[in-house]
Amino acid sequence: MKNWFVVIVLFAGMQLHAQMDEEVLLIARNTGEKVVANGDTIRTMGFAFSLGENPDVPGPTLEFNEGDSVEIDLWNVSQGAPHTIHLHGLDVDQENDGVPHLSFDVPHMEHGYYKFKAPHAGTYLYHCHVVSSIHVQAGMYGLIIIHPPDGSKTTWDGGYPYDISMSLLMSEIDTIWHNDTILLHDHDPDVEVHEVELPVYDPQYYLVNGLSDGQIPEENMALNTSVGAVNYVRLINLGYKGNRVIFPAEFDAEIVASDGRPFPTVENSDTVYIYPGERYGVLGTMPAEGLNSITIEYFDLNTAELEDTQEVPIVTEGYVSTTELATNYELLVKPNPFENSFSIEADLKEKSEIEIVLLDLRGNIIDVIQKPKKMVGSVSIEYTNPTLASGVYLIQMRVNDEVRLNRKIIKN
Amino acid sequence: MLHKAFVCILTLHLFGWSHAAVVYDTVYINKGLITMVDGSNHDYYSFNATTTFETTNKRIEIGLGDSLYLAIVNTDAVVHGFDVTNTSSYSTNIPATDTVEVPMKFEDLGVYIFYDNANYPNFRYLGLGGMIVVDDFSGTQFYWNIKDHEGDWNDSLDAGWTVDWNDYYPDYFTINGYSNPLINDDPDARIVGSVGETMRIYISNTGEGIHSLHFHGYHLNILYSSKYPNHVGRSKDTFPIESMETLILELVPDKVGEYPVHDHNLVAVSGGNIYPNGMFLTMLIE
Repeated sequence: MKNWFVVIVLFAGMQLHAQMDEEVLLIARNTGEKVVANGDTIRTMGFAFSLGENPDVPGPTLEFNEGDSVEIDLWNVSQGAPHTIHLHGLDVDQENDGVPHLSFDVPHMEHGYYKFKAPHAGTYLYHCHVVSSIHVQAGMYGLIIIHPPDGSKTTWDGGYPYDISMSLLMSEIDTIWHNDTILLHDHDPDVEVHEVELPVYDPQYYLVNGLSDGQIPEENMALNTSVGAVNYVRLINLGYKGNRVIFPAEFDAEIVASDGRPFPTVENSDTVYIYPGERYGVLGTMPAEGLNSITIEYFDLNTAELEDTQEVPIVTEGYVSTTELATNYELLVKPNPFENSFSIEADLKEKSEIEIVLLDLRGNIIDVIQKPKKMVGSVSIEYTNPTLASGVYLIQMRVNDEVRLNRKIIKN
Repeated sequence: MLHKAFVCILTLHLFGWSHAAVVYDTVYINKGLITMVDGSNHDYYSFNATTTFETTNKRIEIGLGDSLYLAIVNTDAVVHGFDVTNTSSYSTNIPATDTVEVPMKFEDLGVYIFYDNANYPNFRYLGLGGMIVVDDFSGTQFYWNIKDHEGDWNDSLDAGWTVDWNDYYPDYFTINGYSNPLINDDPDARIVGSVGETMRIYISNTGEGIHSLHFHGYHLNILYSSKYPNHVGRSKDTFPIESMETLILELVPDKVGEYPVHDHNLVAVSGGNIYPNGMFLTMLIE
């Protein structure tokens, strides 16, 4: 009888295990090293996928699809204070929330398992919540991106389609906080309130995706895009300063989401203010080839004084129809902007089933310009719609039922 | 939970003004000491309900369209000022040991900060900032008056010294004058509710700094923002609030549990090298 019980329990456990769509191992370390912009190497704490990997700052980005059942196995391989994973913004239950005295912590050489069902598509964070003032500054954080259920390049299910996405995670480093006396603080896991040394926070390095100043061009960090491509830029602040992110005017930035939820009304603004713990989603398109930049300002939350500025290049080369996505397909819309009519010229190097639709910026189909049809070579389609309201729309070309090209067009 | 603090209400039934009321209330400008988590005491002022000093400013709650006659009693030996944010100017001075009554009217939903505008921002920084809540909501309500403090500056400013606000670096952070864990003992601050219950949280920032309040466990809707009306309707888990800004948030919990709410400027979840302290408290949903 007892043996049967064991078998049933094991079977039930296997079933639970089998239901997980995504399993991730994150290893917490306090032996990380990071080279900062002046070439110095500082000590960090962080997360890595394997023991042989230096835990980078920020940690690895985790990507799931909405609806996925996820299990994160946190293995703490770091002597000293325990660690946790707080799933910031995912609204998980208390047990999986990662706050040590309200859920659980993970001591040295032990495993802790965080389970959740990926909620709304959007941008989220994970970070250690043990003495978070120190452990987050030490580097124990990373990004979680939840895609729509079908994994498509869409802001959320039924949201805006995009061609290119980029995440900009802002934070800072104060090297004083990376001294062993701070990082390797005493910690009694049996008490809720701790006495720790917290120096005045006065960062020397202002980071975008862990890089600052000369490191950004050295590592070729840029928004690499094409004329007409729809870009989705995810902005995240996990520092202790405020950020003012300024897009070029011609990017025509539209803020569509924050904290994993769509905005009820799209906000058109070239400038996005983002504060610690917030996330924003911004859509935009470059109208011409060239080199521009996204300017990120870091200001003090107590005095509002500007402390630093970082620049992330926008490199716009070629047209959306000549990007990798569309090597075999070209799509020109002219004139753009248009009054009542425009023509679409497509160059189809392969015989394919082509469908062309007109969408609004929420991804709703306004009209079907070309029903699905096998086509090849040069194709010209005239479209007239005098009842179309003024505004911005997308021409979307679907090839063999897959979205391949988006062109932004403007009705005067 | 409702602490409708009025002395007299005259309900007007004429010509359809059936809900508007006239509210008479009194606040006392008191001077005392605020005790921080490490036991240090610093000079502080507060608008209180009596002549007895308390670190928590008195809160005034009225309905939409109500008229408020607020008597401000200055118990101090120096002149203090009075004004209210986001309204036509009610600015006035209250001489030492004198009383001034200010008639006000509030038509719209919101949280308004009444504060001392004399020698601005010094007296407001020293604690003289409270909230007037204008709402007809009858459900469960919570109130957070958040504030940052650089302890030594309180003593310097009260002694008449000048400070350079460009060097401001607060070392203590409070909600209704208290920090974690004591703030969890304030039933007006600590969110306690049930799954499916609609609750409102009224927040004012009477400090100098910008704070970024992060809720674990739930997304909340912005019902009101004094500085950014275009933010109303957004569902978020993190809510920045600037100095002298106010918010009304709506929470409808979808699950049980105890979850923290805290400033995600993680310097502000400490105080006097104690963690978690500062702007950190928990919600209990049963």
